[in-house]
Amino acid sequence: MSARSQFAAATGTIAALPARLIEPLMYGLQRLVGIKRMPWVFLIPNLTAVVLFALLPVFINIFYSVSGSDRLFPWDRPLIGGANYATLFDCGNYLDPSTCSRDLFWRALGNTTVFVPIQVTVMIGVALITALCLNREIRGRGFFRGIFFFPVMLSPVVVALMWQWILQRNGALNGLMGAVGLTPVNWLVFPNTAFFWSVFITVWAHMGFYTIILLAGLQAIPRDVYEAARMDSASPWRSFTKITLPLLKPVLLVVFILAVIRSVQTFDELYVLTGGGPGSATMLMVQYIYEVGFASQPRNFGLAAAASLLLGLALLIFTAIQMRISRGGAND
Amino acid sequence: MANLTLENIKKSFGVVEVIPGVDLEINDGEFVVFVGPSGCGKSTLLRMIAGLEDVSDGDIRIDSASVVNTPAADRGVAMVFQSYALYPHMTVRENLSFGLENIRMAKPEIARRVSDAAQLLQIEQLLERRPKQLSGGQRQRVAIGRAITRDPKIFLFDEPLSNLDAELRVLMRIEITKLHERLGNTMIYVTHDQIEAMTMADKIVVLRKGVIEQVGAPLDLYNNPRNIFVAGFIGSPRMNFIEGSLVRTDAGHVAFEAEGLQPLPLPDADPSLGARERVTLGVRPEDFVISREAGAGWPVAVGVAEQYGASSYLHCTLKGEIPVLIHEAGQSLAKRGDVLHIAPRGKQYHLFDADGLAIGR
Repeated sequence: MSARSQFAAATGTIAALPARLIEPLMYGLQRLVGIKRMPWVFLIPNLTAVVLFALLPVFINIFYSVSGSDRLFPWDRPLIGGANYATLFDCGNYLDPSTCSRDLFWRALGNTTVFVPIQVTVMIGVALITALCLNREIRGRGFFRGIFFFPVMLSPVVVALMWQWILQRNGALNGLMGAVGLTPVNWLVFPNTAFFWSVFITVWAHMGFYTIILLAGLQAIPRDVYEAARMDSASPWRSFTKITLPLLKPVLLVVFILAVIRSVQTFDELYVLTGGGPGSATMLMVQYIYEVGFASQPRNFGLAAAASLLLGLALLIFTAIQMRISRGGAND
Repeated sequence: MANLTLENIKKSFGVVEVIPGVDLEINDGEFVVFVGPSGCGKSTLLRMIAGLEDVSDGDIRIDSASVVNTPAADRGVAMVFQSYALYPHMTVRENLSFGLENIRMAKPEIARRVSDAAQLLQIEQLLERRPKQLSGGQRQRVAIGRAITRDPKIFLFDEPLSNLDAELRVLMRIEITKLHERLGNTMIYVTHDQIEAMTMADKIVVLRKGVIEQVGAPLDLYNNPRNIFVAGFIGSPRMNFIEGSLVRTDAGHVAFEAEGLQPLPLPDADPSLGARERVTLGVRPEDFVISREAGAGWPVAVGVAEQYGASSYLHCTLKGEIPVLIHEAGQSLAKRGDVLHIAPRGKQYHLFDADGLAIGR
């Protein structure tokens, strides 16, 4: 027996050891619960995690949103009904945040409703164009795929610090602009430029993920369908609109929903980069929730919980509508 | 309706030359089949005619106009793909009309062409369905319909029946042949199935490693193969080959001699052939005279007797473990272990020299 096959045999034996040890236990369990309930036994570890870290917090959150005081433990908190929701909705004029008792909530809501559509549209657009380019027979395709995916692997804080270094008053970008004779701009001090860079950086940081999904979708479209379209006199643009887009629709739907959810949740990059500023120009919903619940004194867990539940509800309704609208196209 | 000329067509992928140079003339209205083993370059040749693959060198002419620099869509050819390549998200009607909409044809004309093609292929009731809701045979019809609506000068078929089951394949074979008779267009059909080639073609082009081995009518190729490759490729089951040499008998006749076997006189052979070393004798399974009496040819032992009912195939071995397949009309009485004596019937044999080229008989 060669050394290699001896090694293989030894690793095989070692690898099989846990299975052997656990086998009698599993037989015992099966006799105890019956073979039909065995799948549940295997699911228990995962279900426990889901219940503990996903379901339970949702219910705790619901309870927080209908209870008051700054106490942490649920049993210390008195029930106050819909008072938190009433506070959030307490407004003189819904179009003017300054007339609301919680004006930051409405400003964050306004920012989010502007930020999300713009960021998602730009991101999917750029991701799709990138995927289309990477799907062609180009030199160094693997390298470029890596390059575009690379930012996804960075920690959001690193992304923010890096861009801060580029964009701050004495940052790299202004240095570069100064070198070519342009007037430096204080990018993060003006609301419009700060908002622009917020969109830009979040797109840059997350686009690689969606590019990969779209690329997989593009690669699933058979090549000969395009060849048939070529024989059918379809121009590249017609091929794109009449073949690529319809066939990519199911993937686009998934990307769209994921991107919207992710975009609504935007927090860490912007919190580190702009802190929501200047003023509240780049403060989005999740940052508002964080600040109300944890960063300000007294901590208003109830109000934060109510705001987060409203956000969750809005996302749920949005996703349901989206699925409903595109069901026809995606399934046939 | 069109003539097609291929003039010294070459194709290389990088340093790999897949087609070292093909010349071919296809006449207006002909049904031409490119046949050959997989990897012989037949699909590449078809795709070059279609315009889906660039030509490395040489010229393609349709009606004496060069098309090598003409885009696929403007060559006046339509292609039926092996995988059908239907647009999965479009209905059959949209599949048929897509190409016409792309060239901005008037709506009534599109409607007319689609309905004509649907009627011709009997897919009228399927027009509102999507490809997924169709059977393989129906998809095949739609793919052919899509080609028909474009009213091309030349139809190209790339192994169109290879995804169908055996029974359907026979049916579609007949349908495509009938379609050719009705439309009268030039059609080029690629297949690796020599039965399709034999039954459908006006003209067969046998390819091997990117080189045309022989061009001709099906029975011409069957009866007079130019070389041992064509002889073995055309005809099913394939021709038997026995290696040996030619000798002259005392009576001045030519005889074929193989190791361990008595010399077999070739009665009608051309006496000018003379003695030759390294010759291959080729005899088709149906061209043997079978006898149970010794002295009437080479003895063979029956291994397996396959009874098809209307005919039988006897898998036998000559001395020296040379396998020989023999066709016997009707139901054979031969059983495993029987010894039969075989000889070619009259002039129904082929001789090939050491290079595999046919030797005149």
